Amino acid sequence: MSGHKADAKALLDDRGYSGPLIRGENPANLIEKPLQDRITETYYWKEQCFALNEASLCDRAVDMNFIGGTYGQQKASPFLCLVFKLLQLQPEREIVLYYLHNEEGFKYLTALAAFYIRLTFEPVEIYKALEPLLSDYRKLRRRRNDGFMITHMDQFIDDLLTKDRMCGTTLWKLPKRQLLEDLELLDERVSPLADEIEAIDNENDDAREGDESREGSDYERRNGANGRSRSRSRSSEGR
Amino acid sequence: MADRKAPSSAYGAGPAGDTDFRKTWNRDEYAAKAAAREAKVKEEGKARYEAKLAGKKYIPRAATPPDAKETQSRAERLNVSANVGKTMLVPAGAGIGKRGRGAGFYCPDCDLTFKDNLQFVDHLNSRQHLANTGQSGEVRKATLEDVRERLAWLKRKREEEKKDEVIDLKTRLETRQQQDEREREERRRKRRERRRKTKDGMGIKEEDQYEGNGIIC
Ligand SMILES: [Zn+2]
Repeated sequence: MSGHKADAKALLDDRGYSGPLIRGENPANLIEKPLQDRITETYYWKEQCFALNEASLCDRAVDMNFIGGTYGQQKASPFLCLVFKLLQLQPEREIVLYYLHNEEGFKYLTALAAFYIRLTFEPVEIYKALEPLLSDYRKLRRRRNDGFMITHMDQFIDDLLTKDRMCGTTLWKLPKRQLLEDLELLDERVSPLADEIEAIDNENDDAREGDESREGSDYERRNGANGRSRSRSRSSEGR
Repeated sequence: MADRKAPSSAYGAGPAGDTDFRKTWNRDEYAAKAAAREAKVKEEGKARYEAKLAGKKYIPRAATPPDAKETQSRAERLNVSANVGKTMLVPAGAGIGKRGRGAGFYCPDCDLTFKDNLQFVDHLNSRQHLANTGQSGEVRKATLEDVRERLAWLKRKREEEKKDEVIDLKTRLETRQQQDEREREERRRKRRERRRKTKDGMGIKEEDQYEGNGIIC
């Protein structure tokens, strides 16, 4: 049984680091170096993140009430601190996925796991894990330098899949979905919304019933009308 | 921290049975131990070599005492607010970790005083403090089952807190209602009293009591 170190000395010791690598790198480096310093100098990191393991980290994650990068005097958010803690712990994959889909409904834990997955999983796995959350419309508070704003889980996930910078750090370049489709590593995505539209267009066509990507279509029906939902990918034609 | 599990066998999963006082001679276990030892020796050799390359002296880490506890995350916030709002005299030139009890944040385990909470928490996290308090600085790795239990517990806790809040709100509303009732009763009493004081016993007409009467807004 292997344990963790209570502190992050081993992780932060870039030359002496001997733990597992992610994409050939010390996982700490998935966060930009200056931001690492911002994180480890916060009181939150020192007091609240010390000696956490995969289970006690949940206590902190469910107490979060906003996502974000840095604010004020470049102070790193608890969200970033916990992302960094996860990079140190490197929880087993099944634990990360349990965080992501936690049935207890702790949405900031879901957001945290999503960010960690974007940093550490392989491209195909990232799409597979995160895309189902494009029909999760729970509200999230996001803290920016100029205050708080409301965003939603689907927006946050969409940003993770398409943007290069999030929460004050540069994300490594994720290959576009299209590329992975062309390489036949990923199936075409059927947006639940596109599916819904098509279902309305072809009232008699029930061939699509039971399609797994229809989960969340209730959300789409409820929220689709206000124009916030986007169809990120092409329709289900030719499937 | 409230839901610690019953102690299980030191040799792995499953509760300790009545024969567990006897040492089990387990080949796999010994093989694993030997492998771990070998890895450690190798790692140390590597560290020694690298230190030599860098022109530094290699100082091996002190062995962890066998009775050291695993280090656990804080169950509560550090009570640094106890010092908030108090003027503290910190001697000029007081460095990090002043020996003895002084003004500031005092660690009784190490008999050291720190001038601010950041230095204090740095100290609590330090190898020195962990060693002085018999902690190994190692954290137990949690399993998926631990995580599941933890989240279920957090959910229950949150629901109970919500229930308490509702009860709290209900009692607050009830108290408020009782208070309103008392005030209304008091007003009625006063009105009756005034009515008795007027000659005809009819009292002052309600609308006469209002300021700016006659103006209908
Ligand atoms: Zn101490």
